[in-house]
Formats: sequence, C-alpha cells, structure tokens
Amino acid sequence: MPSLLVVVFILQLTIHLVNTVGAATINNILWNIYNRLPTPTSKAAAEQRDLKKQFLKVRTELNATSSQDNFAKWAKLRRQHDKLVEQVEANKKLLDGTKSTFDSAISALRWLGTNGLRMLIQFWFQKQPMFWIPKGWVPYYAEWLLSFPRAPVGSISIQVWALACGAIILLISDALGAAVALAMGTGKATQDEKNNGGQPMKMEGEKVTAESRTSPKAKKEL
Amino acid sequence: MSTAVVNTDDDQLEPTLQSILDQKTLRWIFVGGKGGVGKTTTSCSLAIQLAKVRRSVLLISTDPAHNLSDAFSQKFGKEARLIDGFTNLSAMEIDPNGSIQELMGQAEEGEGPAAGMGGMMQDLAFAIPGIDEAMSFAEVLKQVKSLSYETIIFDTAPTGHTLRFLQFPTVLEKALAKISQLSSQFGPMLNGLLGANGSLPNGANLGEMMEKLEGLRETIGEVNTQFKDENLTTFVCVCIPEFLSLYETERMIQELASYNIDTHCIVVNQLLFPIAGSNCEQCNSRRKMQKKYLEQIEELYDEFNVVKMPLLVEEVRGKERLEKFSEMLITPYVPPAGGL
Repeated sequence: MPSLLVVVFILQLTIHLVNTVGAATINNILWNIYNRLPTPTSKAAAEQRDLKKQFLKVRTELNATSSQDNFAKWAKLRRQHDKLVEQVEANKKLLDGTKSTFDSAISALRWLGTNGLRMLIQFWFQKQPMFWIPKGWVPYYAEWLLSFPRAPVGSISIQVWALACGAIILLISDALGAAVALAMGTGKATQDEKNNGGQPMKMEGEKVTAESRTSPKAKKEL
Repeated sequence: MSTAVVNTDDDQLEPTLQSILDQKTLRWIFVGGKGGVGKTTTSCSLAIQLAKVRRSVLLISTDPAHNLSDAFSQKFGKEARLIDGFTNLSAMEIDPNGSIQELMGQAEEGEGPAAGMGGMMQDLAFAIPGIDEAMSFAEVLKQVKSLSYETIIFDTAPTGHTLRFLQFPTVLEKALAKISQLSSQFGPMLNGLLGANGSLPNGANLGEMMEKLEGLRETIGEVNTQFKDENLTTFVCVCIPEFLSLYETERMIQELASYNIDTHCIVVNQLLFPIAGSNCEQCNSRRKMQKKYLEQIEELYDEFNVVKMPLLVEEVRGKERLEKFSEMLITPYVPPAGGL
C-alpha cells in the first residue's frame, strides 16, 4: 500500500480533475465507451448511428428531388424519410431511458470513488498522524489547529493534509491555466504580427500611392 | 426510373372498383379527397353501382357544403330518404358542426348523450379537440346501426378534418386520465366544497359526468375498431392528376395507413382525352401534364386499383347521367383512338 500522504494527494487531484472536466462530460464519454463495448445497448446505439446516417442521406436526396417533376420518387423518399424519423424517435426514447439509469449509476459510483472515499479515509485515519512537525516550529495553538480534529497534537492530521493538497492543486492548476492562456495568447499575437507583417507595408504603400495620386489633384483643385 | 408506361401491365391491378362490389363484407365505405375533385360524383356513382348488387345502400354526406341534394336534384335532410327512381338506395346529409349545437340544445332539455353535464362542464367537455365530430359521428352511427343497411357510403368533407375523430379515443383517454387524477387528488377538497354527493353547479354531478364521458369513449372506441377492420371498412381516394391533389392524396394515404384504415382504390378524375388531331391548345398541353402525373401515380401506387375517369363535356347531375358515369367505374373508359 502506498503512503497515505500520496493516496490523499491523488484523491484530491482526482476530485479536482473531475470538477474541472465536468460530470456531464465524463458521463457522456463513459456512455460512448459503454456503447462501443458489447453491452445490451450497444446494438441499439449502433443502430441509432446508422439510422441517423441513413436519415441524413435520405433527407439530402429528398431535398434534391423536385416534388413536381418527379412526384413518385419524391413521395417514395418522403415515405422512407417519415419512417426513418419515426424509427429514430422510438430508438432515441429507448436509449434515453437506459442512459438516464446509466447516468445515475455512474454518478453514484463517481461520488463513491471520490468524495465518498475521501470521507471514508478521513474518518478511518482521523486519529493517525500524517507526519510530525519538529517541536517548537509553531506555537501551541497552531499545533492544535494543524492536528485538528483528532490527530495527536504536534502532528499533521489527515484533514489538514487533504486541505493543503487541495489548495496546492488549485494553485498549480490556476497557474498552469494562466500560463497556457498566456502562451497561447502571445503565440496568437506573434502569429498575428507575422501575418500582418506584409500587410502594413502594403497598406503603407497603398496609402502612399493613394496620397501621391490624390495630392496633385487636390493641389490642382486648390 | 420513370420508364413506367401507361398501360395495364400484368402486375398492375385492374383499373376498376369491381373489387369493392365483390367484397360483400364491406359495411363502411368512405370517399374522400381534396375539395372539388369529384368526391360527391364518385360517391354517388359508387352508390348507384353498389345498389345493383346489394340489398340496401345508404349514402351519407358529412360535408357541410351538401352536394347530394344538388347531384340528385332532390332535397335530403337528416333523415335517410329513398332517392327517386331507386328502391334500395337512400341518402342523408348531416352537418358535423350543426349537430354539436343540437347536442348542446338537447342537453339543456335534459336528453341526449350530453345531458346531465352542467353548463360549465359542457363547455369543458366540448373543448376537447375533435369531440364535436366524434359525437356527431357516434350519433349517426347509432342511428345507422339501428337501421338495417347493408352498406353505408360516406361522402366526406375535404381532406383535413375528415378522420381527425379517429384519434379521438386516445385524446379522450388522456383527458379522462387527467380528470380522474385531479378528482382523486382534489376529491376530498371538492367534496367539501360541493357537498357530500359531489354535485357540481347547475345540478350536474361529477361522477355522472365521468360516466357519460367514459360511455362516449367506449362508443367511439367500438366505431374505431370497426373502421380499422379491412373486412368492414375501406377508403376510396379521389384525386385529379395535378400536383396539389396528388400531394394531398399521398398525405391522406399515409395518414390512413397510420390509423390502420384499409385503402386500395384511387379514382383519378377529370382526365382529358382530346381526339386525334385536335387543335385545342389547352386540351393538348393539359393532357401532356396529366399524362406526366398519371405515370407518377402508376409508379407510386402499384398496389392500388387506379380508376381513370374522363372529364365529360356536361355536368354530371341527375340520375341518368350519374348512372352513365358510374358505368365507367366498373368498365374502364376507352379513350378515343389516336389521341395523345
């Protein structure tokens, strides 16, 4: 078993990642993966994809067919189209039912795996010191606070360690986000400059020519 | 694709309504289509032909613009009346919109199916979409059932609201479910307000009204099952070879299929057959257009009896002309040789 310190850190990291990516996105990704696997709904999902593809094909064909010149073909396509729409709707209803149960199951599992696990660990190891701090580093009330709520005084409690991990992760992720945004922003800016590199010259040239063209006239008029 | 040739191939069904005459189990025949394509003429002709092979035939017009009187030059009303010159063919005209007013009137006098509903509840019940038509149809069908006609032909109103009432049981079922849910939720409170026996304002009673609606639903449900039986009911589509009429017909056929109502006959009316060497410009160009749509019809409806009726030079009115016209439903019209 890896050190509890590492476990808590990884757990906090997972929670943070889940929160940033978003529960709905994760559910959708998992739903897609679930449907690619040989599961009961995979057939229906594959059928749905197929139907949608067919539907689009028929619709483009329908739009391309003139109902006045080619009524029989148009009407046949129309029948096919209506039938497909019906099938897609029915299939969607079926899938939606399964998806909502899947979603709730996944949500429950996700909660158990992250926040539930965190609570369990924090409850289980609440009396265990994570590590000791050298005596006299901090005053007693700070020591008491660091060992809050139930770890022996003079140590770091699991709750405090989790909080610290969370704070650090948040800080680093914010810093990373900012750095990425900055890099992309500057990258864009440099690209823009490169792209515009030729243009301002041209513009200047144009201006010059325009001015030189107009100025004599203006002078004449004056 | 469009290599369909205008002739009777082996795989095409015969271009007559003989199949309807032969199907002795048929009890309800609907004739429908867009306005002005010749529904009334077709239904009258069909009735005349049917009267020759059946014991008794009743022709009912549900079109608010009644044309039966016009076609037979005889006044018809809400009661079935024998058509002059026939011994087993009767006709009647009902107005779906008129009969709802009548029902309301009856209800106020304390009779008819809507009696016993208070004024407010009446308004509420009649606000359910399609209920007016459904009720009038139910009334008519009750009447017709008691009379012993072998076959009943309906000359329906132009497409749109012809068969809306067929969705009615589902609508009413939903409405009833809502009402009963409400009454079970608010029942105690309502009872407190209304008194112990649940009577509504104007002397109506909630339970009674629910019973009435339930009864109506059953009647209409029964009618529906009859209409959905292909041995008992069929629908004859009438159209003219023009785009909009064809479009409406296609829509109607799809709609009928969704209601599970049998339809296997199409009457293509008002066909032009200019004689050979005719220099009538309109006739020739219209014939060309009609031919195009006829080809499309034959391609699309290969499982239907497609009957082709010519446009005559005279109005089809009166017994003799209708009889002559009706012959062409059974023995296909032969266009003049050498025409386009």
